[in-house]
Amino acid sequence: MSDAESPTDMSSADHEDHDHHVGPGYATPQAAIEQAEPEKLAYVMGLYVGTDVDAPDFVAVVDVDPGSDTYQEVINRIAMPNEGDELHHFGWNACSSSCHAEGLERSHLVVPGQRSSRIHIIDATDRREPEIEKVIEPERVFEHDLSAPHTVHCVPGGNIVISMLGDADGDLPGGFLELGEDFEIKGRWEADSGEMQMNYDYWYQPRHNVMISSEWAAPKTYYPGFDLEDVENGDYGQRLHVWDWENRSHEETLDLGEEGQIPLEVRFLHSPESTHGYVGAALSSNIFYFSNEGGNWHAEKAIDFEAEEHPDWDMPVPALPTDILVSMDDRYLYGSNWLHGEVWMYDISDPANPRKADSISLGGFFGECQSLGDRELTGGPQMLQLSLDGERLYWTSSLFSSWDNQFFPEMSEEGSVMLKADIDPRNGTLTLDEDFLVDFGEMPEGPARAHEIRWPGGDCTSDVWR
Amino acid sequence: MSYTVELIRNGISNTIPVRPEQTVLAAAEDVDRSLPFGCRTGACGTCTGRVLAGELEHRRPPRALKTKHLDAGYVLLCIAEPRADSRVTVGKDVVAELVENPWK
Repeated sequence: MSDAESPTDMSSADHEDHDHHVGPGYATPQAAIEQAEPEKLAYVMGLYVGTDVDAPDFVAVVDVDPGSDTYQEVINRIAMPNEGDELHHFGWNACSSSCHAEGLERSHLVVPGQRSSRIHIIDATDRREPEIEKVIEPERVFEHDLSAPHTVHCVPGGNIVISMLGDADGDLPGGFLELGEDFEIKGRWEADSGEMQMNYDYWYQPRHNVMISSEWAAPKTYYPGFDLEDVENGDYGQRLHVWDWENRSHEETLDLGEEGQIPLEVRFLHSPESTHGYVGAALSSNIFYFSNEGGNWHAEKAIDFEAEEHPDWDMPVPALPTDILVSMDDRYLYGSNWLHGEVWMYDISDPANPRKADSISLGGFFGECQSLGDRELTGGPQMLQLSLDGERLYWTSSLFSSWDNQFFPEMSEEGSVMLKADIDPRNGTLTLDEDFLVDFGEMPEGPARAHEIRWPGGDCTSDVWR
Repeated sequence: MSYTVELIRNGISNTIPVRPEQTVLAAAEDVDRSLPFGCRTGACGTCTGRVLAGELEHRRPPRALKTKHLDAGYVLLCIAEPRADSRVTVGKDVVAELVENPWK
């Protein structure tokens, strides 16, 4: 029994016989691997921003159960009440970090609009028929001089912290917004933001009292699209910020330098004991490894993707690794190179020295595979999600509406795809499932983009352990 | 009093009345004419239009637009009020003109 099922269906005895915890999630990462059933549903952000379809963005419920009659179909869409949100990342109200918190359930999705700064609270107690329960309007967010919500993590005990990339004007600095268990805004999470200006993703590792956040840019800089002039002006990020988790204070800045430009997704290993983690520097196309040695945090380049010459481009094309994730067993790091068109798998059993295990070349500007059946693979591999058992990797192809329109303009007409690969973790291999394709180009209102993916029962990019 | 603002999107033209203290986006919503938009604060550029004739004035700083965009006649309809009868093109293709693929 896992909390992939509706939480109300779950008796407390289901957990107690194994690990004596009473809250949501799993006692340990290994317990998640053992206890989670294979995923049957996926929640995927679907969006119309930056297309000529005037319709609100939606949460897609995708059937990923191979035994189902509606396998690979979007079986439900929860439309947002307004247009223009740009749904992007989202998260649960509670995860394994609250597994000892009695009474909490993994019941609600917190779904922010990246452009609108509107925050939707969706009751997903019925896993197939989620319903919008509450909407926090942008004006309520702007009151805290914050905008552009991005990463949603629940924190132990039921509160929710959202990284906010801008101030109320879409300028710098950003910060963090805290919601209570009742989904009301409590205020700013941080007590002291030190020299932090830019924000993007964050991950916390409570046993080590640390949070690490990364940097994209001011919303006014990245919202309209990517302008190299902004990079030259220093308007894009290249730093990590180390925070005291308990005191909510900025402690240290790790400057990744020119090779660390636009550090996006931050992933600690899942073991609560671990002080190892990675961040993908998208523009520089390097993966940085960070760790704590002797009480000091440091970061160093661990994987370097070379730019490639393309006959139609004046300058070598950067790989643009826009998403990374760590398998629940902490054995593999996966990533996506959006412009090159590659999904990769690295062995991280020696965390400071990732070793390439396998990769798939598809989509993007260099992918060997550019279509499945008669469907062109618009865009490149982008947001990743891995099954808890580490045997199935899924991804979507949209990055951000304005950036999609700049690099893969055909996506606004054809929509995104969601694809899958099968993994053999024992042998370190990644194989494209050529029979799997969820086509977001086929939505009733018109072709849609697809972004982040989550499972009903927790996943490799959000669950944290204390 | 109102000005008339002609909005051209994908070749389709609609003329709507816009009061001088009203944004073009709000006026379009009043008459059920869809325009693309995102942040509604002038930061994101989703509502960018290009002024072909007339005059519009931003009611708050148009942060999504650089000086080169303002000089070329781009305008953010979520924060733009009319100062004369105007003609504006709008839509995702107008937004896409703000940036190009820098490597290509």
